[in-house]
Amino acid sequence: MSDLMQTFPIRKIIEHGPGVKSFYFDQTFEVQAGQFINLWIPGVDEKPFSVSHIQDGQIEISVKAYGPFTHRLMQSQPGQLLGIRGPFGHGFTLKDRGLLIGGGIGIAPLRLLARQLHERGLHFVSLLGAVSRHEIIFADEFERLGTCYFTTDDGSKGKKGFVTEDVAAIIETEQIKQVYAAGPEIMFVKLKAILDTLHVPYEFCMERYMKCGIGICGQCVLDDSGIRVCVEGPVLNQDDLQDVTELGMMHRNASGKRSI
Amino acid sequence: MTRFLGLKPDSLLVLASGILGLTASSLKRVIDFGAGAVTTKSFNLEVRKGHKAPSIIPFKNGVLNAVGLSNPGVQEMALEIEKFKKRCDAPLFASVFGRTIEEYGEVIQQLIDRVQPDLIEINVSCPNVRSEFGTPFGDSLDDTARVTEIAKKYAGKIPVSVKLGPHGPGIGRLARVCEDNGADAITAINTVGPGMLIDINVMKPVLSNKTGGVSGPAILPIAVKSVYEVFEHVSIPIIGTGGVTGTEDAIQMILAGATLIGIGTAVYYEGIEVFAKINRGITEYLQKHGRTSIEEIRGKAHE
Ligand SMILES: Cc1cc2nc3c(=O)[nH]c(=O)nc-3n(C[C@H](O)[C@H](O)[C@H](O)COP(=O)(O)O)c2cc1C
Ligand code: FES
Repeated sequence: MSDLMQTFPIRKIIEHGPGVKSFYFDQTFEVQAGQFINLWIPGVDEKPFSVSHIQDGQIEISVKAYGPFTHRLMQSQPGQLLGIRGPFGHGFTLKDRGLLIGGGIGIAPLRLLARQLHERGLHFVSLLGAVSRHEIIFADEFERLGTCYFTTDDGSKGKKGFVTEDVAAIIETEQIKQVYAAGPEIMFVKLKAILDTLHVPYEFCMERYMKCGIGICGQCVLDDSGIRVCVEGPVLNQDDLQDVTELGMMHRNASGKRSI
Repeated sequence: MTRFLGLKPDSLLVLASGILGLTASSLKRVIDFGAGAVTTKSFNLEVRKGHKAPSIIPFKNGVLNAVGLSNPGVQEMALEIEKFKKRCDAPLFASVFGRTIEEYGEVIQQLIDRVQPDLIEINVSCPNVRSEFGTPFGDSLDDTARVTEIAKKYAGKIPVSVKLGPHGPGIGRLARVCEDNGADAITAINTVGPGMLIDINVMKPVLSNKTGGVSGPAILPIAVKSVYEVFEHVSIPIIGTGGVTGTEDAIQMILAGATLIGIGTAVYYEGIEVFAKINRGITEYLQKHGRTSIEEIRGKAHE
């Protein structure tokens, strides 16, 4: 692991679905599921990404095209040099009888979590949701590792609707003791309300605009707790989130000003 | 307790500008971790996005940064300062800058129309903004004098500290000019450089801005010498800043003449816990050397 900027060649690129690609690099560090790395495209910009898989001495980063940076990343070719710093922050804690809840590209960090839980013989169930069946990436991998529930906005896979609708029922039938979630923040808002009432402990993988990744710039700090997503996060539990008032609300952009 | 310009912070350690200084929540947390006072990120009239990433990069002995004075603007920062003041009694220093000498006055005016910080720190020394604004005002004795004069005029009763760098005509002479124009304190120093780091595979500078200011352990000796020099030239108090990551560094600053000590990049090396750690360390040092107060050793390296 290194906080310092180092560059590595892309070893391999695989397309997983519409606008989703995985990039593979030689593994030079250990990663806890949920931790992130900063990826630098020289001459373009640097952004945080979670590691979605580690296998055969390679780390995998799964990316969905949604902005200028990710579009540029989609055009890169094997052999091209990218900068990697990290891994940063704290990942998920591995516990038994977990429910993994992933929304959209949030499924990526849960994939590594599923693998790490499985390796330790810990039982878990997955609940994955997206707009349509194509966007539920790695579905077969999750299915191979345990029970899976799916929801899609259009009903093309699993139940039509949102992941949050069946959470309480699944927790009950599967005797869930711990929830792990990654995905859009509005999903966290709904989950938090449900889980606080049920008193089920949870860990959410947060995302914020980051400048330094090393806890000094203040860009990723959460109101009103003062918690830094890049150091104390990105995975935060129910206690960390108790004083966070900005969940699902405006947060800071590059200038530090709040925006949607 | 420390005495500084009529303030009585619980510790002589101050959070330096640009570190965890964007919001009330963040600043408050640093106080909870043992800082005596906090400084906001430098802000001006406009909303500035700053340079693209990478803009903050650690290296072996420090950090290189070119955030480009990104900030949410005076109005948003005034709100955060207000929020901080409601939640916390500790002194808050507002760091301001301007693209022109006149803008310094306007920022201060807009700020204090809304909220009263305990001190206004005038940033004339950021080494990153050359390309955009020409040379920093702090490289010129005349510009530094005029900025200080304007800041004092607009700040009214609120004390003003001018933040200087080790560059330009000499920090001792710069500090003297500030004192002559009414400055109440000197903050020394800002980041050093600019410097550059090059990726040897890509064969290009790592920072998007190519160059950036150097902070952290690498600049400690420059900072200690700067404080020493300022102490010889002025009688106003000094906020000694630059490369302090442990008790010994802090003691050196005091011996050189600092009244308060700024802590920035150390938060990366030591965590926010660094404040409590140095607070304890200073107490232990005084006991060990049979001293009852910091005043007894301040500036002692000059004797
Ligand atoms: C990421 C970063 C941002 C900074 N931003 C500012 C700033 O906005 N205004 C300012 O006066 N100094 C700024 N500084 C300089 C620090 O306040 C301090 O003077 C300098 O880093 C030396 O102290 P240190 O070695 O303890 O960090 C910044 C430094 C860093 C590392
Ligand atoms: S990104 Fe800079 S403090 Fe978290």
